[in-house]
Amino acid sequence: MKLVKKQGTDVATVHAAVLGATFDRRTFLKRSGITAGGIAAAGTLSMSMMKKSAATERTPTDEGNPTQIRSICTHCSVGCGIYAEVENGVWTGQEPAFDHPFNRGAHCAKGAAVREHGHGERRLKYPTKLVNGKWTRVSWEQALDEIGDQMLAIREQSGPDSVYWLGSAKHNNEQAYLFSKFAAMWGTNNMDHQARICHSTTVAGVANTWGYGAMTNSYNDIHNSQAILIIGGNPAEAHPVSLQHIFRATERNNAPLIVIDPRFTRTAAHADQYMRLRPGTDVPVVWGMLWHIFENGWEDKEFIKQRVYGMDEVRAEVAKWTPDEVERVSGVPEEAIKRAAQTMAEHRPGTFIWCMGGTQHTVGNNNTRAYCIFQLALGNMGVSGGGTNIFRGHDNVQGATDFGVLSHTLPGYYGLSEGAWKHWAQVWDVDYDWLSNQFDQGSYEEAGGQPAKPMNTKGIPVSRWIDGVLEDKANIAQQDNVRAMVFWGHAPNSQTRGAEMKQAMEKLDLMVIIDPYPTASAVMQDRTDGIYLLPAATQFETYGSVTASNRSLQWRDKVIDPLFESLPDHTIMYKFANKLGFGDEFCKNIQVTGDEPLIEDITREFNKGMWTIGYTGQSPERLKEHQQNWHTFDYTSLQAKGGPSNGDYYGLPWPCWGTAEMHHPGSPNLYDTSKSVAEGGLNFRARFGVERDGVNLLAEGSWSKGAEIRDGYPEFTDEILQKLGWWDDLTAEEKQLAEGKNWKTDRSGGIQRVAIKHGCAPFGNAKARAVVWTFPDQVPIHREPLYTSRRDLVEKYPTYADRKDFYRLPTRYESIQAVDYTGDYPLIMTSGRLVEYEGGGDETRSNPWLAELQQHMFAEINIVDANNNNIKDGEQIWLESPEGSRIRIMAKITQEGVAPGVVWMPFHFAGHFEGRDLRDKYPKGSDPYVLGEACNTAFTYGYDSVTQMQETKCSLCRISRA
Amino acid sequence: MLWSLLLLFALTLLLPLIPYAVAYVNPDAGGVPNPGSELWREVLNANVGATQVQGIDSGVLISEYGERWRQYRMQQLAPWGASVLGVMVGIFVVYYLVRGKIRIEAGRSGKRVRRYTTTEMTVHWILASTFVLLALSGLILLYGRWLLIPLLGASGFSVTATVCKLLHNYVGLLFAAIVPIAFFLYLKDSLFNLKIDGRWIKRAGGYFGGEEPSSEKVNAGQKMWYWVAMLGGFVLITSGLSLDFTNFFQQGREWLQGAHVVHTIASIGVIAFFIVHLYLATVGVEGALESMLDGHVDANWAKQHHDLWYQELQAGQDSAAPEDGLAAGGTHAGGVASPVVKD
Amino acid sequence: MARMKFLCDAERCIECNACVTACKNENEIPWGVNRRRVVTINDGSPGERSMSVACTHCSDAPCAAVCPVDCFYFTDDGVVLHDKDICIGCGYCFYACPFGAPQFPKNEAFGSRGKMDKCTFCAGGPLPDNSPEEFSEYGSNRLAEGKLPLCAEMCSTRALLAGDGDTVSEIFRERVTWRGASGFAWGWGVAYNKPGIRRGYDVEDKATGGD
Repeated sequence: MKLVKKQGTDVATVHAAVLGATFDRRTFLKRSGITAGGIAAAGTLSMSMMKKSAATERTPTDEGNPTQIRSICTHCSVGCGIYAEVENGVWTGQEPAFDHPFNRGAHCAKGAAVREHGHGERRLKYPTKLVNGKWTRVSWEQALDEIGDQMLAIREQSGPDSVYWLGSAKHNNEQAYLFSKFAAMWGTNNMDHQARICHSTTVAGVANTWGYGAMTNSYNDIHNSQAILIIGGNPAEAHPVSLQHIFRATERNNAPLIVIDPRFTRTAAHADQYMRLRPGTDVPVVWGMLWHIFENGWEDKEFIKQRVYGMDEVRAEVAKWTPDEVERVSGVPEEAIKRAAQTMAEHRPGTFIWCMGGTQHTVGNNNTRAYCIFQLALGNMGVSGGGTNIFRGHDNVQGATDFGVLSHTLPGYYGLSEGAWKHWAQVWDVDYDWLSNQFDQGSYEEAGGQPAKPMNTKGIPVSRWIDGVLEDKANIAQQDNVRAMVFWGHAPNSQTRGAEMKQAMEKLDLMVIIDPYPTASAVMQDRTDGIYLLPAATQFETYGSVTASNRSLQWRDKVIDPLFESLPDHTIMYKFANKLGFGDEFCKNIQVTGDEPLIEDITREFNKGMWTIGYTGQSPERLKEHQQNWHTFDYTSLQAKGGPSNGDYYGLPWPCWGTAEMHHPGSPNLYDTSKSVAEGGLNFRARFGVERDGVNLLAEGSWSKGAEIRDGYPEFTDEILQKLGWWDDLTAEEKQLAEGKNWKTDRSGGIQRVAIKHGCAPFGNAKARAVVWTFPDQVPIHREPLYTSRRDLVEKYPTYADRKDFYRLPTRYESIQAVDYTGDYPLIMTSGRLVEYEGGGDETRSNPWLAELQQHMFAEINIVDANNNNIKDGEQIWLESPEGSRIRIMAKITQEGVAPGVVWMPFHFAGHFEGRDLRDKYPKGSDPYVLGEACNTAFTYGYDSVTQMQETKCSLCRISRA
Repeated sequence: MLWSLLLLFALTLLLPLIPYAVAYVNPDAGGVPNPGSELWREVLNANVGATQVQGIDSGVLISEYGERWRQYRMQQLAPWGASVLGVMVGIFVVYYLVRGKIRIEAGRSGKRVRRYTTTEMTVHWILASTFVLLALSGLILLYGRWLLIPLLGASGFSVTATVCKLLHNYVGLLFAAIVPIAFFLYLKDSLFNLKIDGRWIKRAGGYFGGEEPSSEKVNAGQKMWYWVAMLGGFVLITSGLSLDFTNFFQQGREWLQGAHVVHTIASIGVIAFFIVHLYLATVGVEGALESMLDGHVDANWAKQHHDLWYQELQAGQDSAAPEDGLAAGGTHAGGVASPVVKD
Repeated sequence: MARMKFLCDAERCIECNACVTACKNENEIPWGVNRRRVVTINDGSPGERSMSVACTHCSDAPCAAVCPVDCFYFTDDGVVLHDKDICIGCGYCFYACPFGAPQFPKNEAFGSRGKMDKCTFCAGGPLPDNSPEEFSEYGSNRLAEGKLPLCAEMCSTRALLAGDGDTVSEIFRERVTWRGASGFAWGWGVAYNKPGIRRGYDVEDKATGGD
């Protein structure tokens, strides 16, 4: 019989009378030394010790047979399975999903605490509006009306680009896809999500190297690795369950684990080799390793000859990175670099993992390409146990990225060209001209020498939205400044330049926050009006698919109904679409019940359009079948052995080619030529042309198993099919739609089907390119960070020139690096994650089980720096950065966690601002338990040269006692 | 031949010791040390680690002091304490059976002299009652598990123990307040006079035969009891307060274990002595109890047991001093003609 | 009869705190009381190791020995439980426990601690199995449902094992064998001339990290 929870008071006995009344938690906390303040405001305890949940009454049931609902954790991209137990609509229990192939029941602190979403005590409960500095409850109708009217007025006056739709990595796939459509139909590319500030440089760098920018293998595939290298990543805290797979390799394969990080992290504690590098010197270190590899002839020459273009130019660059130079720039001595290189060379296949430590730099795209080139040199690509296993962040950042919640592309990475728009207009079944007219018709910049329209130019990315507001509008490549900001499932404290952000927020006409929690957006500015808070439901209160980092799609079932007055994101979108005048087009072929679009119809719609990355075979039916049969999928290979999904790879990892009827099993390891494409194999994508400077860009002597073309070939178009004589393999219906199209735009899926039928990859078979001729640095090179501590290296490794129009905005580089700040700001400032919290942190800091474990924002400081500044462990300090911001935080002294000269901070805190406690500014009852300064209030200007990723891994600061 | 055998014998004993010597000098000489051993060494040294969970001692993974304390309390302190107390009680049972009540030899004279002021009595009884409550409640908490659970049952004893714990913890504060007052109040009377008290002690107060030796207002035995009670009380108070108020300094377990041991030993010691005092003040000596009930004692009692004090009282009365024995006190601080000392 | 034990593999624990929050989740533990905690030795330095610790359900439990009211009892499975209705909150079990398992909801004057609370191996308490009263006082009773403690079931890396002592030892022994074969066995590092394979003890840390 399942448990039911009792009400507050104790069993009435003599003891109770004798022992007195219930005690007060506030007193306990005060006297037990735990910081009082907001934490003490967290309710009272009963004598019986078990706390009554305010939001949900657990009522007794006679049967006590809870329903078991399958869902997926919403915290990170590992995608752990969850069994939620629900009784009478109340989420009463959480059981481990032992049969789930990714986690086998395991969780981290956050996953083990998701049931708290069902309590939701600090949730935003109903639509709220800021009136004269007071939070006032309003109805959904009123809120939508007012917001809609204001937005339409802004559109009238300043054009649609003045409303910024900031979306979320926490939308499920259907919502993310709908969000892209929404922004497009509103008429702007000013939309983005967390990927910009997380792995955007990865996607750009990796996709431009070999075709797709996602994790190439999977967490489970690491079981087959013979060596593991992690640079700029701390999965022990950011993806704890991935350690389950890493340990499998280290324990059973004797795989050495190499960790490269400025900080001795919890991951480093389990490493065989740990290398400490100066923040921002990834390229020197990787080139340094490659130097040894080339020097000793350890590279895989055959692989390079067949499948890599441009390695010779890389050799030339790598030759400059002698051991002495590497040590001079990065601080890592030769024996360490050589040992790591040798380890990776001697233990193949090895996998290469990175996270924000590598991506969040002005040269992020250089770093990510360097990592790829390293693996290409060793021939570690396209093999089980190898690959570039990129651990993504939020639970559906992969999906949101794939569905184009990005300012520079439509869903599926189609880009913003006219052809891309026409394709999607067809998929959405709307008139292209109508769609085009939704956009601003003016022209504010040029592309290829011709005037370009906002519809076809990259919008402002989230990392720069404040400049969209604050920059002189004459300098922005759109009609007017951004005047209204919609924070849809996106916190503000994950972006840099907090002080300027406050100003930007105060300058806006309108702020709309759509989130299960108020977030720091609601409190960090001093507005008195013009803010709306709309309560969104979490992913446990709705259902749909989500894409894990390994490209598998997982289906979530709904656990509980939306709490309080919250609504699922897709319902809110539909309501907005109606108000803003495009509701009919928005869900033209999607069934709507009340105001809720049917999720399965959305899935089916994107199945019809996402040909580029193969989101077409994952129909709702197949995904639900996988969900019901977790136990049939193999732990290492992820393939179903028997059962209804026999032969499929779990989650049908994209590309899952063709239509669902074709029943492609998904592609577990990208670019793996040992399997046929029909079985999930692949080769590198032919994305960059057929030849360059007379050199063949297609693969030579390498093809996927069973391919009828036993060499390289370009991507498939109708013409190529005809030339090959395979055109008539298409059915009549397929021919109709495939005529004049290629594998990306053929909405019948026939071209893909036929190509695969003949063993070929629809996207061609080419070499990966080590030289990206379209990027600012064709071959990855080292450039010092904008705020660098090494002025002596600036001359040899300068940053880029300033740019006038980059994602519509002027972007500075050398003008910032030109100033020497090291006198006043001698310490390197870097940031990272904590296991208990996630992202901006309001959601996890509102979970008492997690918040209790990390109650203070802090900076990790080396004892030498602490002593130099007369700071003791646990004391309050001021940390100031060159752009004038300061934050008041606790000092955590470490002997060697960080090196002298480096300060590390977690980024999850918010609710304090430059020394002020903003707790009173939250709507009553929605303040998180734990508040703190956001490290990004202090972090500074600096953006990647390809994606505008922010530079949050290396800046400068100074510290002093508070 | 013999020598070679001896040499061989010596070598077989000595040679195998060499690796041990090497290992002793250089523990790493044997090769790779077991990494686990370093970890456990640090853990067992109660090396405080880092933890996200806040609480007293939460950073200590394993502390061996807890088990030490448990062994000491259960295997040594508790049995030892019981023995000591049992022996003390036994001694007086036997003494009473053998010697009986110590009577006023000359019989009651009917004349009564003032021995203690109201203040002295009040303080005494507060001290006594708090002490008795504390002692009883403490003993119940220490021994009740074995003695009272069979009688009262688990729930019944739980109520009793709860009452005792509350009593002990609250009354302890009262005790802490009264002891310093008592200390200063009785201090003058309790200072030792080496000659007089030395003699008294040499003759064991006359309790085991021989004439009762001279004593001042308070005899050596009583003085000893004073000092035991006060010093012991002080120890009990400091250890008790640190156990009673862990919220002030967030004292950790080691501190509390130590305080607890000190508290227990001191309490057994004081209770043991208290048994002596209780016996003598009530059953053991006729005419003693009333000194604390109405502040007066019979003159013959005074002459018999505290002759020097009685003499001074007489001298004081001659100089028309008030009946308040305190004003006539100064019996031992000097300044008065040396009294006649009984042989 | 099975004898229930915990074992935390310090080589696998990554201090993710899932065990801590799983326990709070399953038993609805209030703020301030933590039945389980993870302690890290040498935090931030080579040789850093973490271990999750809660009540270890000792066969010769010191807590049970020193309790003045004898409120502890042992189940057939060797789980050490106590009766909160008998407990007087004196704190002696906390003094005696080597692991600091007993927790108290308050720490006030006059030794006022409230009732002791501790890990129950998810086996509830003396009240009827899976009753609302039992849940309210003691938390979940998973053992009565044939399940194991949630902390171990949710451990991210399977560092924390819980269950019958023999089975747990067997699992761990197998793991050690795998590791031994991986050169982690005592002495193999030297024997096979691979001194580096010692998981964090032999690190290259000469980089300055700063300038």
